[in-house]
Amino acid sequence: MRMYLLCALATGVATSLIGLSAVAADPIRIGLVSEITGPNAEAGSYTINGAKLAAEEINKKGGILGQRVELVIEDNQSTNPGTVLAISKLGGRKDIPAIIGPIRSTQTQAASPTIAKLGIPTMIGGSDPSLTRVNNRWLFRCRPNDLYSSRVIADFGANSLKLKKWAVVHSTDAFGSGGSKALLDALTAYGVEPVLVQGYTNNSQDFTPVVLAIKKSGADIIGSYMTTSQDLGIFAKQLRQLGVNATWVGSASIVTDTAMKLAGDALHGTYGVADFNPDANEEATAFSKMYRAKYKLEPDVYSSWAFDAMNVIATALNSAKDTKPESIRGAIVGLKNWKGVEGIYNFDEQGDGLRGYNIVKNDNGKLVFVKHINFEK
Amino acid sequence: MEALANNFQVLFQGLALGSIYALVALGFVLIIRATNVVNFAQGDFAMLGAYMMVACLVGAGLPYWLSFLLALIGMGVFGILFNYGVYFPLRHRGFLPVLISTLGASIFLQNTVLAIFGAQPKRLDNVIQGGVQIGSVFLDSQYLVILAVTMLMVAFQYFFFEHTLVGKKLQATSQDKDMARLLGIPVALMIAVTFIYSAVLGGLAGVLVGPVLFVSIGMGSIIALKAFAATIIGGFGDVKGAIVGGIFIGVVESFAAYYISVPYKDAYAFMMLFLVLVFRPQGFFGEKVSEKA
Amino acid sequence: MRSQESSRTTLSPSRRLSAWLLVLIPAAAAVPLIPYATEVSHFAVSMFMQTVTYAIAVLGMVVVLGYAGQINLAQAAFFGFGAYGVALGTVSYGLPFWVSFAMGIGVAAIAGGILGLTTLRLGGHYLAMITISFQQIFDLVAVNWIALTHGPDGIAGIPRPSLFSYELSDDRAYLLLCTLVLYGLIALVWWLPQTRLGRAMRGVRENELAAEVIGVHTLRVKVTAFILCATLGGIGGGLYAGGFAYISPDNFNFTRAVEFLSMVLLGGAQSPFGAVLGTTLLILLPEWLKEMPPSLQFIKDVYLAIYGLAVILIMVFMPEGLWGLLRNGWKKLRSPVPVDTTSIPKLELDIPVTDATPLLKLEGMQKFFGGLRAVDGIDLEVGRGTVHALIGPNGSGKTTMLNVVNGIYKPTGGRIIIDGQDVSQKAPHERAGHGLGRTFQNIRLFPAMSALENVIVGAQRDNNPIEPGRPALRMRAMSALQFVGLADKADAIVRSLPYGHQRLVEIARALAGHPKLLLLDEPAAGLNQTEKMELVELLRRLRSGHGLTIFLIDHDMGLVEKISDRITVLNFGKKIAEGAPQEVLRHPEVIAAYLGEEPANGVA
Repeated sequence: MRMYLLCALATGVATSLIGLSAVAADPIRIGLVSEITGPNAEAGSYTINGAKLAAEEINKKGGILGQRVELVIEDNQSTNPGTVLAISKLGGRKDIPAIIGPIRSTQTQAASPTIAKLGIPTMIGGSDPSLTRVNNRWLFRCRPNDLYSSRVIADFGANSLKLKKWAVVHSTDAFGSGGSKALLDALTAYGVEPVLVQGYTNNSQDFTPVVLAIKKSGADIIGSYMTTSQDLGIFAKQLRQLGVNATWVGSASIVTDTAMKLAGDALHGTYGVADFNPDANEEATAFSKMYRAKYKLEPDVYSSWAFDAMNVIATALNSAKDTKPESIRGAIVGLKNWKGVEGIYNFDEQGDGLRGYNIVKNDNGKLVFVKHINFEK
Repeated sequence: MEALANNFQVLFQGLALGSIYALVALGFVLIIRATNVVNFAQGDFAMLGAYMMVACLVGAGLPYWLSFLLALIGMGVFGILFNYGVYFPLRHRGFLPVLISTLGASIFLQNTVLAIFGAQPKRLDNVIQGGVQIGSVFLDSQYLVILAVTMLMVAFQYFFFEHTLVGKKLQATSQDKDMARLLGIPVALMIAVTFIYSAVLGGLAGVLVGPVLFVSIGMGSIIALKAFAATIIGGFGDVKGAIVGGIFIGVVESFAAYYISVPYKDAYAFMMLFLVLVFRPQGFFGEKVSEKA
Repeated sequence: MRSQESSRTTLSPSRRLSAWLLVLIPAAAAVPLIPYATEVSHFAVSMFMQTVTYAIAVLGMVVVLGYAGQINLAQAAFFGFGAYGVALGTVSYGLPFWVSFAMGIGVAAIAGGILGLTTLRLGGHYLAMITISFQQIFDLVAVNWIALTHGPDGIAGIPRPSLFSYELSDDRAYLLLCTLVLYGLIALVWWLPQTRLGRAMRGVRENELAAEVIGVHTLRVKVTAFILCATLGGIGGGLYAGGFAYISPDNFNFTRAVEFLSMVLLGGAQSPFGAVLGTTLLILLPEWLKEMPPSLQFIKDVYLAIYGLAVILIMVFMPEGLWGLLRNGWKKLRSPVPVDTTSIPKLELDIPVTDATPLLKLEGMQKFFGGLRAVDGIDLEVGRGTVHALIGPNGSGKTTMLNVVNGIYKPTGGRIIIDGQDVSQKAPHERAGHGLGRTFQNIRLFPAMSALENVIVGAQRDNNPIEPGRPALRMRAMSALQFVGLADKADAIVRSLPYGHQRLVEIARALAGHPKLLLLDEPAAGLNQTEKMELVELLRRLRSGHGLTIFLIDHDMGLVEKISDRITVLNFGKKIAEGAPQEVLRHPEVIAAYLGEEPANGVA
């Protein structure tokens, strides 16, 4: 008994000593490229929140490789060139083993050659499928790509809700047009030919022509890939004002906190795919509790993906035992059924980690978890 | 019947958005007339006004009408600051330095508001909830308010400029500064008054449009570009032209988006502008200007 | 751009390679070699590449804004043409890099030319707006025409070129190439103001109407300025695309165009060195602001606000930009070099009087402004080698008539024949090329240019019978200045000269073009008594045996009487009297017109 206590004491002291030395040594620095300025600064702030929370939790649990972890945040000014510069700036420091990259597809595309040249494992959140198909070994996607979101939207609408008259509304930016293309392909697999495919440019002030086109088409379900929450809010309000009551299943932006606040009751009753939902799994519930407590905000995809990305990096580094890029890559691809807040991660050789989405419903302003649709491939 | 209703709906939206362009364009024109300078921060006046409204209404929890009043007074004060900070030091230096200075002011304003309010767009509620339903046509109450206020402002402006002494002094200042000075009109003060008035006008546009477009940092920029196009299409520096030009752009882009293509919606205003500039550079109402030797 | 913020550049021979340039050149040569000497981070190389390629585009702004005084808020679009040329040519169509590069520049130049042509009718704010529209449409097309431009995804995998079979895939080598191109273009832009074209551009900037009237084809000059500007933008964009291997529309939007404008203004629009300075500072500024010590971390959040504030402060406190500030400071330290006036040849002004036909003939000339008949059917002949005065009360249509003769106004009806040729439909600069010179009632000089430069622009009109080449132009201008007695002031900036001297410079500018017919619009206006005497003396020298014909307006009857051979009197746009000075000035209707009374038989 005494022996046991002594042992415990010794271990305790040892642990705290390690802890102390960890504090004294250089921390492990992880890069984060996000929007601090520019039109996407809103989402950028959530991403930073998520990553910071993860870093804190990791440090509470002993850090990475026994050292404290510290975020080095670079602003990309919400632009592609800004992202390239931010990444190369982080890469130039030489003390950053891994980076949490942009969540936007165009930015990822812009930075991809730079990341390939630097050879630093970079977590990305852009959901354009092609991002991980360009022979860049250093990109790891901590979100399901649009092939899955579109497959989930199509599957839920056509299979679960049994609706066949689809209108597809999308922004003409890379995210929107890529997503709509994937949705059209996915719908074809269910034998559905949409009655309307309608694009618009971001920051449209009036969606009346779009709404009237939907009305005219007689669609009973709308699938959407919309980028900004203002656009989503305006569209939602006008859609309901002009009496279109079609079911609406939207991409992730429809369930962001901001979009729901802006659109209010116009979004009630709509469905969205969400990489993240507080009720989807235990990890998600725990994360949500911490996030709400710390920031007094509802967690969303921007914060949850960064939280997962940071944790994937930490887990991989810890199991890699060193900070060499090849070891980190090996460790990430080696993760099997790793449970994150967004779902279960199995990274393939191309760097795609997730293959499923949650379907959630906006029930009078509260998001209700409907189901998780997962694909094996 | 359905087609007619749709056309009416499109027309209504176009008129309403066009009114907003017209309100901002009015601010442009007043400043152009008083100072011969285009104010590239005019759109940000709208943004700033909307954020002041948000600060009073949502931030401080004040009643709607008090917030409205405070936002407009705030914009008036801001107009004075803008006059003395951005225009006044450069008043003797031609149009280009002032134009660039206002561009700088625009960048400054957007990023200052971003630092204070954060990047999340804010919601403002309609002055009156709901709207009017006529058959399948829905007239949003806020749009109706916008239309009404624009008409009111146009009437007010007409009365103010044509039938009050201050208005006449303002007009004299805009027509010939040297002559106005000789007649004992305080020209600098008149210009300051112009800036105050157009800041209030811009702020009013922002407060009105906040509920429909939401309040965001970039909300002013695109409105300002359209409003500027309206100013030129209507006739540079012409009050009537600004209003007609604004409404014209709103309606044309609304119909073009409905009948031709939605993604190119923003291009129509600029294409019209291009055509007007090439074929009728003096605009709808402008007089042909030729330089005197 | 107004004159007040224009340069104080002079063309004096002292503007040569000076000591500090000898320091600057090796330093500049060393800069692109730094990456070879020591290890430089990828980030630094990216920043460097961005600076160099942007600076080339900003040089274009120097030409169009700094020299020609035209605003351009579409430089990002021209930059985009160059970049998309390279990207689409190489990636989409598999063309060699340099072919794509040339195509991009070609498209940019054509677009620049078209935009320049719109200045035919529009200037100032209109031009600002039309360039903004052009920029916005470029952006919308780049985003929406996905089949061509790949839309917002942009274009990745743009290859680097090879040069003389040397592959430039290495960042350092490519950067070296870009820097060398930049240096070459700096030299070109630096040299431009001293050329015929460059002087014409600055003339257009300083006073477009005067430039046109003394023989500058202002539209061609402005279009050329836009083409040069667009070409430089295209070169910068093409190199940028190769440098970063990826482009997307947000590299080329309105914000970027404003950035280019801010860069050139910060550095100083009048000088290529200012452009490079401004570009470098504005690219580094945000980085510096972000690197502030922890106590100043808040700056990180507001650095764009500071940037906006900085733009205002620059406009208020540094109108000529940083480079202007440096140069003016440096100039104060230097004493001016006196002008050598000993070996100036006499001004050749002779016009052979070949026949007895009138030199200027107006047939039923009319000019109406709406309902106002400013000139209402005037017939007039001005004999060769004579001095013919046009007088009349204020508002009688004198200046309007001069403006119609000159081509500033197109006549509503009638014909204008100069030396047997009908010039009624010709532009002012064509009439200048035909031997028509002019001065203005309210002096229209190029205030920020030296007296000599002003006069050289006058000398460089088409068909001026002098030797080709710069030395002859200079000589001609010096002779003209000598003739009016201002040769020793040749290097003085016109703005700083007293009023009377400015008048004389304007006359010298007209004389340098060796005119057959000289139009003088109230040459004595605003002169004191001594200056008037000098003017009379000058006009007498002008008419004595040179064969030059002078057509003038003035209110000073003493002066008119002293020098005129013939006088025409206008009232309400109609000729009321004509003849020798003595008889005309005693004509009752003339006296009545001047005293404001109706003629005796008129209706009261």
